[in-house]
Amino acid sequence: MQSSGILVFVETSGGAARATSLELFGAAGAVQNALGPVTALVVGHGIAPAVEQVATLGAERVLVVDDPHCAHPVAAVMARVVLTAWDVVQPALTLLPSTTLGRDVAALVAARHGVPHFADIVSLDVTAEQFLATRPVYQSKLLTTVRASRARPAVATIRAGTYRAPEPSGQQARVEDLTVAFSPADQRARMTRMVEKPRGQVDLENAPVVVVGGRGVGGPEAFAQLAQLTELLGGALGCTRAVSDLGWRPHAEQIGQTGKQVRPRLYLGVGVSGAVQHTVGMQGSETIVVINRDPNAPLVKMADFALIADWNEVVPRLIARLRERRGR
Amino acid sequence: MKIVVLLKEVPDPNAVRYDPRLGDLVPGIQRVANEYDLYALEAALRLREQVGGEVIVASVGTARDALNRALAMGADRAVNLEGDGLPGDAWTTARALVAWLQREQPDVIWCGQETSDSGTGNVGPAVAAQLDLPLVSNVVGWEFRDGVFEIEREIEDGHQFQEVAPPVVLCALSALPQPRLPTLRGIMDARRKPVEHLTAADLGLSDEALQPLVQWEGLSQPVAKAAGVVVQDVPPDEAVERLLTFLESRGLLG
Repeated sequence: MQSSGILVFVETSGGAARATSLELFGAAGAVQNALGPVTALVVGHGIAPAVEQVATLGAERVLVVDDPHCAHPVAAVMARVVLTAWDVVQPALTLLPSTTLGRDVAALVAARHGVPHFADIVSLDVTAEQFLATRPVYQSKLLTTVRASRARPAVATIRAGTYRAPEPSGQQARVEDLTVAFSPADQRARMTRMVEKPRGQVDLENAPVVVVGGRGVGGPEAFAQLAQLTELLGGALGCTRAVSDLGWRPHAEQIGQTGKQVRPRLYLGVGVSGAVQHTVGMQGSETIVVINRDPNAPLVKMADFALIADWNEVVPRLIARLRERRGR
Repeated sequence: MKIVVLLKEVPDPNAVRYDPRLGDLVPGIQRVANEYDLYALEAALRLREQVGGEVIVASVGTARDALNRALAMGADRAVNLEGDGLPGDAWTTARALVAWLQREQPDVIWCGQETSDSGTGNVGPAVAAQLDLPLVSNVVGWEFRDGVFEIEREIEDGHQFQEVAPPVVLCALSALPQPRLPTLRGIMDARRKPVEHLTAADLGLSDEALQPLVQWEGLSQPVAKAAGVVVQDVPPDEAVERLLTFLESRGLLG
């Protein structure tokens, strides 16, 4: 069977579609003239709200796998779901979000079929003969373009924030259940428990605002104020490697080469000098604001707005002013 | 227990500089072992210390210094797959590793989550898929008890724990214990440890089997931002007001 069309893997969390999954429909819309209609694959357990949302985003068809096996992200289980949908759809291109799960599943499915996986891409073009994907390399310091022939299908994971999720259209997709048979081999690695992030805490990688404390804040106690500032800005709190190495904050909050990659609308760095190890994890941020005593810090050069001052003198004022504005 | 660590030699990430005239990295950047891979190696050495057995480090493409470092840290032997067509793309690399791994039949394959150069993170999962082994990625902690691993993973929603029995492919993040430094004794011992060199032909792989799936173009630099506003030597109250005005002008105050 000739491959055509686009399969979009919609990852869910707690029944809702992840924002990064919805952005995939923006990517699919941009290349569907070349490749053909879009089929969404919505996977999880108790995912009716996600299905309803996805059905208006431009897909012709929505395949639903609502199964207790799929309640949690386990790579082999989700790969089986995508492989099953692949057999049904025979897609020319399969899109997944560039999440921890999406990256695993994309690589597993691509390897099973002997087709390329364009990992963590920031743009995608399709010509009559080729797929062309641009992706960050050297820890996002540089970009490269990767090409592959259209003689084979392809799989791509798309970096968060690359495409915009389309506005819901009046068109309603055809919704069908897809039954997936899981083998014992798919369940060799199984989830035993999950330690969720505290409620209300915004996920660093998806946060619209990220406040980061560096070694320049002087000590772990400074983070209580930064946490207040973060909450007022509706963001997530991060730190540099120096800070997590000193044990002031947990590694899970570290941004950079050996930590998380963030691309928020607003990055606010406090006492962060901007070592390369850190900047590779945040340089995609839309607006960069820096509060630092040192006017020669590398991050000051990257900033859209740099405030050269002792953070102790400005952060408490900033918190007070934001509180006033919010009327609390 | 037979433990394999997949290790890549990469340009030193702290020395990577771009030459716009070449459209490539400046020449002569020192090559080092990929950082996540060293965390994987440290985990492998600790596993061997717990249960006994052997740690084998394997690399595709030039990797003399990285493999020597791994041997000095305590790996028992090294294998370097190189020659025409290698390393190729992630697919080619995985094919070569799989051909070799099928001979070795290890119980555990550790690798870094991704490399600091191309960073696709494809090789670990591709090896798992081709060998039909379970894959557990983004590993930040592990315990091995009664023949079963309990693995702690760092993912978007928090920390997930998975149980899996060998054989398995595990991909390491840097929240694992820091890689040990080679001791002088380790460096001396490393000179006597075996390093095997294999080509694709030695592994029975044809040129066709090693055909890459993708072609990489040259490198380019992301577009630089215009210089921003710098507020200096301004009283704190006024500085904060200017910052609020700036944030408001960008629509960042909700």
